[in-house]
Amino acid sequence: MNIRKVKIIYFKEILETLRDRRTLISTILIPIILFPVLMFGMGAVVVMMMKKTEAEATRIALIGGEYASSFVSTLLEGDDFQKVEVKDFEFALKEKEIHAAIEFSSGFEEKLTLGENSEATIYYDGAELRSSIAKEKLSGELKDYQDSLVAERLRERNIEKSILHPIEVKAENLAPKEKMEGFMLSMFLPYVIVILAMVGAMYPAIDLTAGEKERGTLETILVTPVSRLDIATGKFLTVLTASLITIVLSTASMSLTASLGFARMGDLGSEQISFAIKPLSIILLLLLMLPLAALFSSALLSVSLFAKSYKEAQSYVSPLMFVVILPAMVSFIPGIELNWGLAFVPIVNISLASREVLLGTFRWEFIALIFVSTFIYASFSIFVTKRLFEKEGVLFRT
Amino acid sequence: MIVTTNLTKIFHDKKRGEIRAVDSVNIECKPGRVYGLLGLNGAGKTTLMRILSTILKPTSGSAKVAGYDIITEAEKVKEKIGFLSSDTGLYQRLTAEETVSYFGRLNGMEQNMLTQRVEEIFDRFDMNQFRGRRVGKLSTGMKQKISIARTFINDPEVLILDEPTIGLDVVTSRSIIHFIKESKQSGKCILFSTHVMWEAQKLCDDIAIIHKGKILEVGTLEQLQAKTGLADLDDIFIKVVGE
Repeated sequence: MNIRKVKIIYFKEILETLRDRRTLISTILIPIILFPVLMFGMGAVVVMMMKKTEAEATRIALIGGEYASSFVSTLLEGDDFQKVEVKDFEFALKEKEIHAAIEFSSGFEEKLTLGENSEATIYYDGAELRSSIAKEKLSGELKDYQDSLVAERLRERNIEKSILHPIEVKAENLAPKEKMEGFMLSMFLPYVIVILAMVGAMYPAIDLTAGEKERGTLETILVTPVSRLDIATGKFLTVLTASLITIVLSTASMSLTASLGFARMGDLGSEQISFAIKPLSIILLLLLMLPLAALFSSALLSVSLFAKSYKEAQSYVSPLMFVVILPAMVSFIPGIELNWGLAFVPIVNISLASREVLLGTFRWEFIALIFVSTFIYASFSIFVTKRLFEKEGVLFRT
Repeated sequence: MIVTTNLTKIFHDKKRGEIRAVDSVNIECKPGRVYGLLGLNGAGKTTLMRILSTILKPTSGSAKVAGYDIITEAEKVKEKIGFLSSDTGLYQRLTAEETVSYFGRLNGMEQNMLTQRVEEIFDRFDMNQFRGRRVGKLSTGMKQKISIARTFINDPEVLILDEPTIGLDVVTSRSIIHFIKESKQSGKCILFSTHVMWEAQKLCDDIAIIHKGKILEVGTLEQLQAKTGLADLDDIFIKVVGE
């Protein structure tokens, strides 16, 4: 290998890649803006919608309301509920004229006054968010009414209310703060970073192989006094750089977004969580991603080198995304933990190890094993790429 | 400067079976002369030139270019040749100057020498007005000039030009013809393929007619005329290939 020529090719490829809008978007822009947009944008929209829905008066139809006149009058006192007269409540629910309907059994309050039991049925549409909320609100109101009745009946019999709760159940979360913070991120950070490592390498890999074939520049470089190995190495290093940049940017963006995002969630009422991943976790995470990025880069180069055109390469690479997405999703499955077998399964091992690194529960021997095994897979993949660059049938496929 | 011995290239195609794209070709191109390869589309011109420029490996036979073996000394061969074809594209996102310098560096030129050579070439091909502009934004004629500059940056002893005027307008193809003539005068060995007969007639010192991978006739225009009893290269070509 001629290091000088590899360097010349590498710097030229980097320069060209930096001038390619598609690559800039997928390698730099997306990893930076994805998390803030997801967290603040989507989050804010969801919170806004929820608040709006909750604030809006719930439209209800009453069936047999005359049997529960005092409950109904309390219900309609505030702005929370609005009574709607309908002929057919099922049709009205379907047409969204009402959010829910409530049916009181005959002699509802009368029976209750006599110390007997009554029945109330709430009709709602479980596939409609507002209808489900209406059901919750109505259930809440009924429960409050029931509690007051129970309290009254107990009082009449001179019984303490605490008899209903002989055991007081308490739960205390003993997880260290750091683990708690890591837990939130450990579910989806490994998954997203693995996917982005792939996305970041995708466009440069296609552009530097199938794209060059399409534009006829591959033949131009093949007639220069540079070995195929040097060309392949220069291109590989360029794609690897793109992938690593994506990984670093997305990790940084995600950590920052998360720290700001959790602080905001704190403002919204839940427990205030200050967010800080240990620097060691970040370093280990990036270290684990290094051989994975190399594996992705060489695999993508090989696949897209085989294609004749940019479009053909895209159609080969898209199914490859699923090959990455599915094993990467393992970080979402709570029960699965790293073991000696899984440590050898590519992508799955990185995804699980990253989760444990973020949780602070990792074992060094696994980290070392995963690093080495992924490194071996990457080396094999690089070897395949090199061989493909030497094959006339691949370079001049017609 | 270019000598081939029974050079053969066989491709295997699933549908068509074995294809002898280049079949026992023996040619000899000398310095200071233009050797024209005349053939129909698919005759084997491009494959032969790709083998000589070491992009493809022959199935059998051998060849020497500028004294180096194309199989065992491929890197040396590539240092000595300038290869230009309609398939050798340019990087759209590099400027004219970046492109030419890049190929100079890949040819092992040191920075001082490269700077000097780039100045020389940009003056010579009158490319200074677009040296800082990206290739993708340039006209076909300007791009072709950059391609020639790229081919010429290492001052190659041997030029392998595969249909260099195909699809170009009159002005641009004239400038290429002019460039070939100049190179010939400076003692370079030029292998030039075309299917435009008047170009061959105007330029070539030696003409080889290639058909279905085989060289059917070789000689100067006069020799071919005497052999066939025909004056026009068009007629000679049709008679030789028998179609």
